[in-house]
This record gives sequence, structure tokens and C-alpha cells, in this order.
Amino acid sequence: MLVALITGLATGALYAAAALTYNVMFSTSKVLSVTTGHISMLGGIFGAWFVSTLGWPIALALLGSIGVGAVFGLITDWIAIRRVLARSDEHLWLLSTLALATMVQQAAGLWWGTEPKPFPRLIPQDFSAGLADQKYWLPIVVAIVLAIALELFYRRTLYGKLFVAMSEDAFAARARGIPTGRIRAMSYVIAGAMGGLAGFAAGQLTFAYFALGLTLTLNGFIALAVGGLGSNVGALVGGAALGILSAVATYFVGGEYQQTISVGLLMIVLLLKPAGLFGRQSVRPV
Amino acid sequence: MSVSNRSWAILAVIAVLFTLPWWSGDLYKVHLAALICTYWVLISGLNLVVGYSGQLSIGHVGLLAIGAYCFAILAGTYGLHPAVAIAASGTLCALCGLVLGLPSLRLPGFYFAMATLAFALIVTEITLAQGNLTGGGVGLSVPGFPPPFDSPRGSYWLILAIAAVVTWLTWNVARHTWGRGLVAVRDSVVTAQAVGVPVFRAKLTVFVFSGFTAGLAGALFAVLQSYITPDTFVFDLGLFFFVCIIIGGRGHMLGPAIGTIVLTALPEMVAPLAKLGNFFYGLLLLVVVLLVPEGIGHVFQVLIERFRSARGERHGVKPDLERLSKAIQGGRAIK
Repeated sequence: MLVALITGLATGALYAAAALTYNVMFSTSKVLSVTTGHISMLGGIFGAWFVSTLGWPIALALLGSIGVGAVFGLITDWIAIRRVLARSDEHLWLLSTLALATMVQQAAGLWWGTEPKPFPRLIPQDFSAGLADQKYWLPIVVAIVLAIALELFYRRTLYGKLFVAMSEDAFAARARGIPTGRIRAMSYVIAGAMGGLAGFAAGQLTFAYFALGLTLTLNGFIALAVGGLGSNVGALVGGAALGILSAVATYFVGGEYQQTISVGLLMIVLLLKPAGLFGRQSVRPV
Repeated sequence: MSVSNRSWAILAVIAVLFTLPWWSGDLYKVHLAALICTYWVLISGLNLVVGYSGQLSIGHVGLLAIGAYCFAILAGTYGLHPAVAIAASGTLCALCGLVLGLPSLRLPGFYFAMATLAFALIVTEITLAQGNLTGGGVGLSVPGFPPPFDSPRGSYWLILAIAAVVTWLTWNVARHTWGRGLVAVRDSVVTAQAVGVPVFRAKLTVFVFSGFTAGLAGALFAVLQSYITPDTFVFDLGLFFFVCIIIGGRGHMLGPAIGTIVLTALPEMVAPLAKLGNFFYGLLLLVVVLLVPEGIGHVFQVLIERFRSARGERHGVKPDLERLSKAIQGGRAIK
């Protein structure tokens, strides 16, 4: 039972990190990118490749994974977001990010192989540590650190305040002379770096697996919708709730119905509180 | 004149498709054509949801799987007549569409897409979990059609007939009040509400209808595959249906039809594309979304309109100078 709880919490932390990544991109562009999970997938695969194949030291591989994520974030903005947001058609971004995510997943599958491959140990630790093993606490620590860093960034720095201003009203921000395009690109780079870091930290839990992206996109979104769109605390709580619920359900019912249960959680929360637990009810646009 | 032109074209297309087994040469091409028709049964229904009412469902493969398993279980395990089993597949999937649509169609765009994606994954999970019903990961073998349709040609004609009926139904929906109402819902929900389109009911009705066609397609698909496992209905297949419609063009019938034919046939004809698979579909989707978001069908339409207007300019009106000068002089005379 305790094993189930800890595993659930660790998986939930990964979902929470994905939800935070969603939040950063959503704040400046009002886009929920399908590529969110694929950033972490790339972070995991490239991390494993840097360490196992190229033999880089861990610190360099960590930086490399973050860099890969950041570059992918920038590419997402370039290819899938910038041109599409210039058009007025709603939800075109869903198609463009879906297309990009599909391409990246297939390319990763062709290059890396479709089998999950083991991820190297990051910190020298005995395998007998059991529940104190690094594969459990690393993602949890990373998710919490990311959430705290984001809050500090939003509250204490000028750029963070620009993000908040853009999430409130992008047009008003532009009228005030904020270079909205550049800020949006920056938010995608930050989101990419966060996703890369999360994927690297959770690599030992998920393995370096090309199909992780879509699962993470879906589950990160469920965590986000449960916690409330735009809320970082909500992302943490939603991720933890989702992870623990599916782990406990797996413990009692069996692993076959994991997805069914997590979607059930989403449906219940959306029915009772459509804006999520910590979300703000937005006014319907006309 | 144009009406009879169109009906001649439709007759010609039907004749070509009907005689396909005689001139296509080998049976593999007949099988491919039957597969395209099967996909089209699903896609023409899905087109009403994605193309007309603008609800981006990426998980219709779940409904296809339910239809296929329903047919395989009823016709195979319980030995029902295939016609009854096909009807039951369609009905069951319409019900599933209702159950899925009731909560999820209230959600905004991205939420809805994620709900359908989750639905597809849940169906895979349940087919794996309910091993004694669906055969689990091992799968089920599917019985063929009864005697007149048991040959490859016979099954092709049966599938073609079903596809034709479904096309006729969706065409009727698309070109009358319903289709206009759905397009209004897609382009502006608030305006559609203001002019009296019952938004939720319209969306739900076409979604249930698309569930019905997906169930039919599932049953036909199962027979064509003759053996189904959960791996037959991977999420990529759902993406494929979706890409066919977006590439063909939202709010058309012809565009998605061409998209279905090209995207099904192309990987079979060109081997390197089959290896790239999803990458190719993703690239195609990206290019279409970035360059022609209205789809390739729209390009054809623009070209046709240009051709027509160019022809129209040929018989311009020559001014009758004599009459004109008389009129001007007459005006002066009054003055």
C-alpha cells in the first residue's frame, strides 16, 4: 500500500510538472499545446542518450536535456504557434501542435526505437534503498522546486510580471509597449526547459520511451483541468491527486482500468466545479 | 444544365466504382478499394462532426473498435446473422456516441479533443481487460459475410453499397438546414444561438450519427481484417481519420473523400511513405494547417470559381453609343 502511494506520488509529480509546463505556455499565448508531454519525452530520451551512449557526465547531460527541451519549445513557437495565432481561426493551434507532436513522436520512435530503454542512475545510490530510492523522490522534488521557482519568477521579477500582464490581457499589454511576440517565445523556451528537466528527473521512473509524450500530454492535462487552468498550486494538487488515485486504484482493482479511473476523476471534477479546484471562473467571451 | 451535369458525373463515378473489380486487375486492389470505402463510411460521418460542426474529435478509433468487437462477438461467438450483427454494431456505437457526447460536447475545444483521446485509450484498456469477451491481447477471429458476399468482389460490392447509402445520408444532412446550422455552430457559437440553432442538440445529433457510421465501419473493417486484436485499433488510426478530413477541407464532402482515397492508397503504393507512417501524416497536417487552413478542397473550389468567372467575362456588354448620345442630347434639350 505504501509502495502504491509513493509510486503514485512520484508519477503524480511528473503529471504536475507537465501541468506547470502547460500553464507557462498558456499564460502568454492562451494555447494548450499538444506537444507538452513530448517535451518531457525528449528530455528523457536525450538524457539517456547523452549519458549512456555519448558518456557525458550527469551534470552536462542535465544541461543538455534542458537545452533540448528549450530548443524544442522555441521550435514549437516558431512553427506551430506564431503563424497560427496571427490568423483569427480559433483552435487552429490544436491542429498545428497536434501535427508537430505526431511528427516528433514518430521521429523519436524511428531514431530511438519503439522499446522503452533504461535510464542511467543519476546519483550514486544502492538499489536496496527501497522507497527512499531516487527514482521516487527526484520527480517530486523537481516538481515542487519548479512550482516554487515559477511563483518567485511571477512575483519577484520584471519578466514574470510581463507574463502575468500578458495572461490578463495580451492586447492591453501590447498597447503598453510590451513586445508580446518575444515574451511569448520566451515563455515557450522556459516551458521547454522545465519540461526537459522534468523528463530528465523522471527518466528512471518512466524509462526513455518514445510513446511517453501522448500519455503525459493527456495526464498532465487532466491534472491541470482538475487543479484549475492557470493555477500553479492547482497543478501540484491535481497532479498529486491524479497520481495517487490511479496508483491506489491499481492496487485495489488492478492496472487494467488506470486510464478509465483518471478520466472518471476529470469528469467528476468538471461536473462539480467546471473551473477546477483552484481555477478562476472566466467570463464567457462574446 | 448544371444539375444534369452533376447527376451524369455521379452516375459515371458509381459506374466506375461498380465495375472496379473487372478492370482493376488483381484482388489486392479490390481489397484496398473496399478498405477505402470502409474508412469512408466512418469519415463521412466524422466529417459532419469535425468538418461541419467544428468539434475536433481525435478518438473515433474507439468507436470503430467497439463496432468491430461487437460484430466479431455477435456474429462469431454467438453466431448471429451478420446483417443483424452489423445493425447491432451501428446501434451500439450510436449509444456509445450518445454516452460520450452528452458530457464531452459541453466542453470547449481542447477539452473535447482530450476527452475523445481519453475515450480511445479507455476502449483499448477495456478490450485488453475483458479477456473472456474480447480475447484480450490475443484477439478474435471474425466470420465473413454470408454466401453472395463471401468472395472479395462480393464483399467489395456490399461495402460499396453501404458506403453509397451513408454518403447519400450525410450529403442530405450536409446540404440542407442541418448542414448550414452546423457550419454556423463551427464559425460562431454565439451567432448560431442568436439565430435559433439548437447548438447542443445539433452537435449531439450529428455526433450520435457519426457514432452509428463508425459502428457500421467497425463491423465492415473487422470482416476485411478477418482477425482483430487491440493493436489493430491504435490511436494512430484515429489520427489518420482526422487528418483525412482536415487535409480534404472542413465543410466539404468531396475534399475529405479525396483525402481518404489519397491517404489510404499512397502509403500502399509508395513504400518509403509507409515506413514514415505518422511522420508523413503529421507533416501533411502541418503543411495544410500553415498554408491552406481551409483544406485542399477549398483550393479546388477557388480554382473552379476563378475558371468560371474568367469564362463569364468573355461576353461583355458593348455600349450602344448611338442611343447613349441621343439620351444625353435629349437631356440637354429638356434643359
